[in-house]
Order: sequence, then structure tokens, then C-alpha cells
Amino acid sequence: MSSDVIREVLRVSDWLIFAYFVALNSSYLVLILMAGLEFGKHLRRAPFAGADDMFRSPLTLPVSVIVPAYNEGAGIVAAVQAMTSLRYPRYEVVVVDDGSSDDTFERLRAQFDLVEVPRVVPGEVPYRSHVLSVHVARGHPETLTVVRKTNGGKADALNVGINLARHPLICMVDADSVLDPDALLSVAKPFGDDPLRVVACGGVVRIANGCKVVGGRVVDVRMPRQWLIRVQVVEYLRAFLMGRTGWSRLGGLVVISGAFGIFRRDLVVKIGGMAHDAIGEDAELVVRLHHYLREQGADYRVIFVAEPVSWSEAPASLRVLGRQRRRWHRGIAEILGKHRAMIGNPRYGRIGLLALPYYVVFELLAPFVELAALVLLPLGLWVDAVDLAFAWRFALVAYGYGLLISLFSLFIEEVSFHRYPRWSDLLRGVLAAIIENFGYRQILAVWQVSGAAHAWQGRKPVWGTMHRQGFDESPPRDSVGVAP
Amino acid sequence: MLGVFTLVIAVLAVIVAGTSAAIIAVRVVRQARHRRIAALAAGPRRALLNFVADNGEQGGPDLVAIPDEAWQAAEPGALALLGKLRGEAHRALVSVFLRRGVARRALGNLHSRSRVRRAKAAQVLGDLELRRAVPELCRLLTDRHLEVRVVAVRALGRIGDPAAAWRLIAALDRSDQIPSLLATHTLVQLGPEAEVTLSAALDHPQARVRAVCLDALGLLGAAGSVHRIARVLTEDGTLDVRVAAAANLGKLGTRAGLEPLTAVLTPATRPTALRTAAAKALGDLGAPSAVPALAALLDDEQFWVAHEAAHALRRLGPAGQDALRAVIEQEAGRARSAGVGAHARPSSAAGHAREALALAAVAAAAHEMATVG
Repeated sequence: MSSDVIREVLRVSDWLIFAYFVALNSSYLVLILMAGLEFGKHLRRAPFAGADDMFRSPLTLPVSVIVPAYNEGAGIVAAVQAMTSLRYPRYEVVVVDDGSSDDTFERLRAQFDLVEVPRVVPGEVPYRSHVLSVHVARGHPETLTVVRKTNGGKADALNVGINLARHPLICMVDADSVLDPDALLSVAKPFGDDPLRVVACGGVVRIANGCKVVGGRVVDVRMPRQWLIRVQVVEYLRAFLMGRTGWSRLGGLVVISGAFGIFRRDLVVKIGGMAHDAIGEDAELVVRLHHYLREQGADYRVIFVAEPVSWSEAPASLRVLGRQRRRWHRGIAEILGKHRAMIGNPRYGRIGLLALPYYVVFELLAPFVELAALVLLPLGLWVDAVDLAFAWRFALVAYGYGLLISLFSLFIEEVSFHRYPRWSDLLRGVLAAIIENFGYRQILAVWQVSGAAHAWQGRKPVWGTMHRQGFDESPPRDSVGVAP
Repeated sequence: MLGVFTLVIAVLAVIVAGTSAAIIAVRVVRQARHRRIAALAAGPRRALLNFVADNGEQGGPDLVAIPDEAWQAAEPGALALLGKLRGEAHRALVSVFLRRGVARRALGNLHSRSRVRRAKAAQVLGDLELRRAVPELCRLLTDRHLEVRVVAVRALGRIGDPAAAWRLIAALDRSDQIPSLLATHTLVQLGPEAEVTLSAALDHPQARVRAVCLDALGLLGAAGSVHRIARVLTEDGTLDVRVAAAANLGKLGTRAGLEPLTAVLTPATRPTALRTAAAKALGDLGAPSAVPALAALLDDEQFWVAHEAAHALRRLGPAGQDALRAVIEQEAGRARSAGVGAHARPSSAAGHAREALALAAVAAAAHEMATVG
């Protein structure tokens, strides 16, 4: 009798898991279709979007680009050179050296002829560390500021940068990011187009591994050499480019990557800056912004622009990838826990009723269901709850639908931005979409479950070190300085 | 049930294969299209560059004679080139566009049912700087789609006909609003002749309209409107408008702004944003007589008021910087008499003064380097 019950439970569980996979992939499909519509709209409007007018206008809102840096000595000079030569009418770069133990600051001082100034740091948003000194570039004091502080973590470094930022818009960029020349112009444009409502705008982050980088610019886009990173390229396309564009169109964007996002400074100050206790401080800031603005009854928009982009180095080893994904999923679990009062609450509109419940069901729980499927399906086979014919069809439909979603992403990328010009890269992309179903997704689920468990256990967050391989960079220029 | 599964798998397999084929097809078609357009545009592009290099004196008839298909391939490049040209070359290229009927087609497309086509047409008319299109573009300012109105506003700015000023101001007074910064930039592009209209609009009931007009007057350098702007600074009921008035009095840089700006610095109960803007504006104004009022703000409780006052003093030159040094010396003297000497914790006033003086020294060194270089 009891074995019958177990068999029935397993049979029902397997069907529920199957239904979950169908619902999950269908939700991705909806987001991808939304993204496709958005890209079509964007491309049709490109001829009259007015980006050049924005560049020429004396009224374009100035931006403070905040770059937190911790032990970034190897690439910091190239990164700052690139950031100080972006195409934007008026902006400053604020580098916050978060107590680096390497030569990050010394390299900056030597390259940009930094001179110390006794800046008074306002305490508009809280920071826990101690500011040691503030420096400006001797030749261009208005363009580059470098702050040295004791180590306090990324959120703390960003808060110091926010305090020192002089402009109404703040753009947070990772020190290892390579921005397209028009990236700032594109990501700030929505603030000019709809200044009363746009409060934050995220830019797309793509993977730079394998690309050719010259003078801090990606000049030749290529697929990486390793399959582990190629799979991540497809994943970034599907989840970040398509997923976030889809959410932006639905008015439910809750994640703006810390690697490239722009915010209204006054609002960030009003909500207290970055949260020190959140491991996913970038997404937490956006959710808190929604929380605050919904409670104020404000008419506002948080949006995402798909082009141009910020390029970032993806983990090249399983160990580093595992750390990153544990951290990301831990971040999701913490944010959803911290803002649980918003989930399902009509007071928070689409964020409360659609976006956050989606994140609970299809982001937070997805790896648990994936692992459950990996355990329960063989178990069902073993106890004869399901037969082999069902099992292989189940797996084929679930993973086949997932593969289709990835291929749709590649198709929309090919129609809209077609960033990978080589035929061989296109083929590698399609193969990576197939390969990710065999091992990658499963190991990802293990890391994600572990990350969520750490959050619920309240373990002390550990950021870990990202071992960078560096970009395919041409030799540095002989003489460099801050662009005027 | 298994049959349904098998069917679904078959359908999925077909869609997967179809999508893969579609990815390849899209690339093949796009590459073929690019090659065709590049081949078609190559000749016209050469002719265009030669035409521009000759300052538009030779080659006009050849450009007009280019077959339509080849011209369409080259037209986006030609329009981009138009935006980079000035003077005779610009006029000559515009004449080519007109003779090819581009303006006529664009004027017709302003009535299209497609908003994208209307917006593209407005953009082309703006690129051509076609004055006779102004009434039609003004009509577009009431288009039901914001994106079309935005392009029309930009086009009117490119054309720069001051007759459009009042229509632009009227277009600001809508619930679905044209961005303020865009409207301001366009009003500035209309030139000094728009000053009378802008000045009159300072009495507009909508605060946003008044703020936009203030910014436009400031950027136009409309010194004749200083007294009206000063009145807005002291009498307007909306804080944002008063802040804009303060900032623009600074930009205009006339002595008439000194008294009203100084008056709003105190008492400290006035809004911080207004006092901050006034302190900054006094620095922009460049009047050394503002030094005492600004120096008194260095120990203000509001960080940004004190910060802007210090930097305004820095920008005021020797008189302002002397006042900053005096604050530091006074504090050092007080510390010495209290017996704490160099160990005294600096006050916020001295902190702001030190920061401003340090930046003044760096800026002076940078200026010197640039001069020598």
C-alpha cells in the first residue's frame, strides 16, 4: 500500500516538475518576444533618436561615473583611460580605491599625475570606512577624482563615490568593464527623453573574453575560446539582454547590473545609498528604489537599454564561476527575503504582483526544481512510478524547450544587433546553446541552491576574488592622459 | 499521453531546426543586402565627397542625376554629411536634396499614418533646415505621439526660426510633456529674437514653462531680461522656478543680479536648494562685492550651501580666495590661543575653504601647463 502511495507521489511530482519546466520556459519565451518587439522599435527609431543632438546640447545632464576598485592594478589604468574618453558632453570619473593591497593607486597616480586635495566628504549616504585622501588629475581636476579609503566592500566604496559625486546622474561601473564609446550617451538618453519619470537605467553587459580590446575599446567581437565561456555568452544573451529588455518593456525591471547602471543621484541619496549588508547590492538598490517610489505614489520608470554595451570578463574556471553564481543566487534570496512585504502586494503594482513573484517562482526556486527533477525522475523510474518511455520524452521536451529559447535569443540577436560577425562564432553560439543542457545547467543549479542556503543560514557573505585573465589587449599607448 | 509527448517532441524538433535555419538565412540575406547597398552607394558616395570637397561648386547636376535606387542607398550617409557641413557646402548639398524632391516627399510624409514615417520626415526637414517647413512642423507639435513631437521640436531647433517660439512654449503646456531640456535647447537655437516671447512667458501659469524660459534666457545671454528674472527669483511661488531664476541670473553675469541673489542667501530658513543655487550663481556672476555674503556662509549648517559658497569664492579670484585664507588663518589663530595648535580638528568652514583653495591651486597649475604647452 505504502509503495503505491510513494509511486503515486513520485508520478504526480514528476508531472508537476514537467509543468514547471513548461511554465518556466514559456515565461522566458514571453520575455524574449517582448525583447524582440522592443529591439524592433528601437532599431526603427534609431535614425531620429537624436543621440547626436544630445551630445551637442549644453543642457545634457552631467554624469558622475563611479568606479569602485579593489586590487585592480593590472587593468585600472586602461579602464580609467577608456572611461575618461567616452563620448559624452560633461562627466567626471570618480575612482574609489577600496583599500587595495596592490599598486592600484600608485599606477593611477603615476599615469594621471594625481595631486591630493583636501576634499570635504559629505555624509549624505552612510559609509563605514575611513577616507584616507582625495586626489584629482593635475591637468584635468574636474574630470578625474581618485579616492583612497580603508577597505569596506563594494557597497561602501560606492557610497563614498556617491557622496563625492558632483553631478545629478550617477553611473556605477565595474573597474574591469570596457564601455562602448557611446555607452554613457545611450544609457543617459532616457533621462533626457523622459526626465520627469526615468529614475534609473541599466545597460546591457556582454562578455568580453575572446574579444579584441585596443586602448580600452572592444574593436573585434569574437566568441571566447573556451566552451565554458561560450555557454555563458548564450546565457547572458538569453537572461540579461533578452530577459531584462522584456522586463523593461513590461515595466517590471528589478535588476540593473552593478557593472553598468545609471541612477538619479538625489533619489539614491534619499533612500540611503547602497545597502552594506546586501551581497547583491546592485539589484537591492533597484528593488529599494521601487519600494520607496511606489510608497510615494510616484509616476516613474526604471528602464533598460540594449545597445551600446558594457563588456565584462566572465569567469573562465568552474571554481570562480561557482563562486559567482553562489553569490548571485544568495543575492536574490536575500533581496526577496528583505523585501518580502512587497511580494504579492498590490500596493507595489507590477513589481509586487508580477516581477517579484516571478523572481520567487522562476528565479529563486528554479534550481531547486531542476535538482528535484534530477533526483525524482530516476527515482520514479526505479520504483516504476514512471516508465522509461515517459522519462526520456519528459527530458527531451523539458530540455528541448530550453534549447529553443536559447536559439530564439540567438535569432533575435542575429536580426537586431548581430554582434558576432564570424560564421564560425555563429555556429559556436548554436552549439553552446545545445551544450549548456548537458552538465552546465545542472552544476549551476547545485551552486545556486548552495547560495540560497547560505543566505537562509545567515552565513557571513564572502565576495571572493575574481581571477582575471585580462583581455586580448594591444600594447598600451606611449603617452596617455585624461581626455578633456 | 505518450503520443502527445512524441508529437510535442516532433514539433519542437521542427521549430529548433527551423530557428537554426532562420538564423543562417537572416545572416545570408543581411550580408547580401549589405553588399548590394554598399555597391549601389559607392558611386554616389564618391560623388558626394567630391561635391563637398569642391564646396558644392561642381557636381550638383551629377548628384541630381543619380538613379533613385542608388541615391536611396547613399541617402543616410548624405544626411549624416549634411549635419557636419556649414556655409556654402551645406547650402549646395541642401539644394541637391531639394532638386531630388526629398523635401517634397518629407513634407508629404508629415501626414503619414505611421508615426515612424512622420518622425523620420520631421528629422529630414530639420536636417535640411527648411524654413518653409516650419508651419507644418509646428502643427506636428500637437501630434498625439510624444516621439513625433520630440523630433518636430528638434527639427524646429535646427531650422532656428524664432517665429516658432510661441508654438513651442504652447506645446510645453501638455500633460504628455516634451522634455524640458530639449525644449530649452530648441528655444536657445531660435536665437536672440526669441527673447521677447521668452520674457513674456515668465508670467505663464505653468511652473515648468517658466523654468524652461528662464533657462533659455540664461543660455541666450538675455541681459535685457535681468530685472524680470530677478522679480521671478523673489516673487515666484514655485521653488524650482526660483532656483532656475537664481542659476540664470548667475549665467547672465550682470550687476543687477547681485542684490536679489544676495538677498535670498539668508535667513537659513529659506530652502536649501535656493540658497545653494544663489551661492553658486554669485560665483558665476563674478562680482567681488559678493565676497562678504559668501564668506558668511562658509560655516552654514547645510553642506551644499557652504560647499557652493566656498567654490563661488574660489571662482571670484583674488578677493574671494583672500576671504578663504582669512577663514583658515582665523581658525589657526583661535587654535593657537586655545593651545591646541596643529592638533585642532578643522571646522567645516575651514575644511571647505581648504578644499576650494587647493582646487584653485590645481586649476591655476593646469592653466599654466596648458598655456606653456
